[in-house]
Amino acid sequence: MKFLVSVALALALLTLESVLVKQAGLELGRIDVTVVLVAFLALRASLLEGTFSAFSVGYLLDLMSGQPTWLYTFLAVFIFLVGRLVPTFVEVRGPLAFALFAMGADVGHSLLATFFTWLTVKEDGPGSQLAEMPLQVALTGIAALALYPLLRRFEASQERPAGLLR
Amino acid sequence: MWSLLKRYYRPLIVGFLLLSPLVAFLLGGRKGREPNFIDRAIIAVASPVQQGLTSVIEGGVAGVQNYLDLRGVRQENDALRLENLQLRAAVQSLGESRMENERLRKLLKYAEAEPGPEIPARVVGVNPVAKLLSVRISSGEQQGVFRGMSVVTPDGIVGQVIRATGGYADVALVTDPQSRVAVRVQRSRARGTAAGTGVGPLKLENMLRTEDVEDGDLIITAGTDGIYPPGVVVGRVTNLEKKEHGMFQGADIVPAVDTSKLEEVLVVGSPYSAMAPGGTAEGASK
Repeated sequence: MKFLVSVALALALLTLESVLVKQAGLELGRIDVTVVLVAFLALRASLLEGTFSAFSVGYLLDLMSGQPTWLYTFLAVFIFLVGRLVPTFVEVRGPLAFALFAMGADVGHSLLATFFTWLTVKEDGPGSQLAEMPLQVALTGIAALALYPLLRRFEASQERPAGLLR
Repeated sequence: MWSLLKRYYRPLIVGFLLLSPLVAFLLGGRKGREPNFIDRAIIAVASPVQQGLTSVIEGGVAGVQNYLDLRGVRQENDALRLENLQLRAAVQSLGESRMENERLRKLLKYAEAEPGPEIPARVVGVNPVAKLLSVRISSGEQQGVFRGMSVVTPDGIVGQVIRATGGYADVALVTDPQSRVAVRVQRSRARGTAAGTGVGPLKLENMLRTEDVEDGDLIITAGTDGIYPPGVVVGRVTNLEKKEHGMFQGADIVPAVDTSKLEEVLVVGSPYSAMAPGGTAEGASK
């Protein structure tokens, strides 16, 4: 169920983002909504369910990029697995902590995406893309704050009440 | 063996889901892949929503804009009437030039290229990944749009189709860092390459130092890359750098089309383009 909700939510958010970016006329500034979803999965989903969900969310991002390369599929699973380690060191509770966690994940995601793109293309320096990163990370943090209640609601709707026979 | 698999199936599945996309990317992901049936299904679901949302937002904005525009409409009408007169005079004079041009072409037995189809489309969304600058348009294979065809507006060049599905296509913009377009200086016919930089103006590359190019020169497509038809406006030269040494001179090209504010575009198939499914765009996007 978490898998289906994640995929549907990712598709809806990516579609909405692509329209809003066009209307706002942002040329390079993007909101990494998929990183917010993957960050949430890293905190709340089980290993297998989260990996499948992160894979699907990354696949969708790859597909929406126009020229799917599998890079974002790999990065989504990687960020999910690394993100699962974070709660063992720090407690991530509440919208603000979640936004900071998502922003950290976005920094890692953007740096790795820039590195791998540079590694394979090597025609353009990563400077221009890294210059846009602070804006992108800030927008992703705001998106994480806005999406946190929605994600919590989805999660709560899937929790089984204790003590009921099923 | 079976018990081993049963015991370690979780890490094996996770490892496969992590490493298989990485291997696929490193082995040739850079070129992208042709859309499979899953991709087509997802695009078929998402694109109409994109188009609907775009129409709703643009309709709302246009409604407000129309109301505001009504206030100055009389003065604007007068100005437009005058402009219309001037343009009609200009068209008449151009008609004369065109007929003269045709006569001269016939005299020279100049082979005229057959113009390809012009397919109109609306921009319905922007790619949410900043690493590739592309937009989604509302015409696809059903309308005759295929990978490798070029996309323009009346103002100039926009980009090339990198993927087409049923009723939609994705267009990589000329401003994308991977974009390369064979160009010419309209005045002197000097040849070079316009390279995307991601943000801001394009870079004029491979222009020999001895070639005649000046600030403000109009840059048009050369048509030699096999993707873009010749003679489409790319932009104007600025920040020209004539170096003392080396083979080439450098400059910026301010694009004629603001790709961040695209609404309607035309997909054109030049006689050089691959006009079939699976046709490639290697020439201009390496």
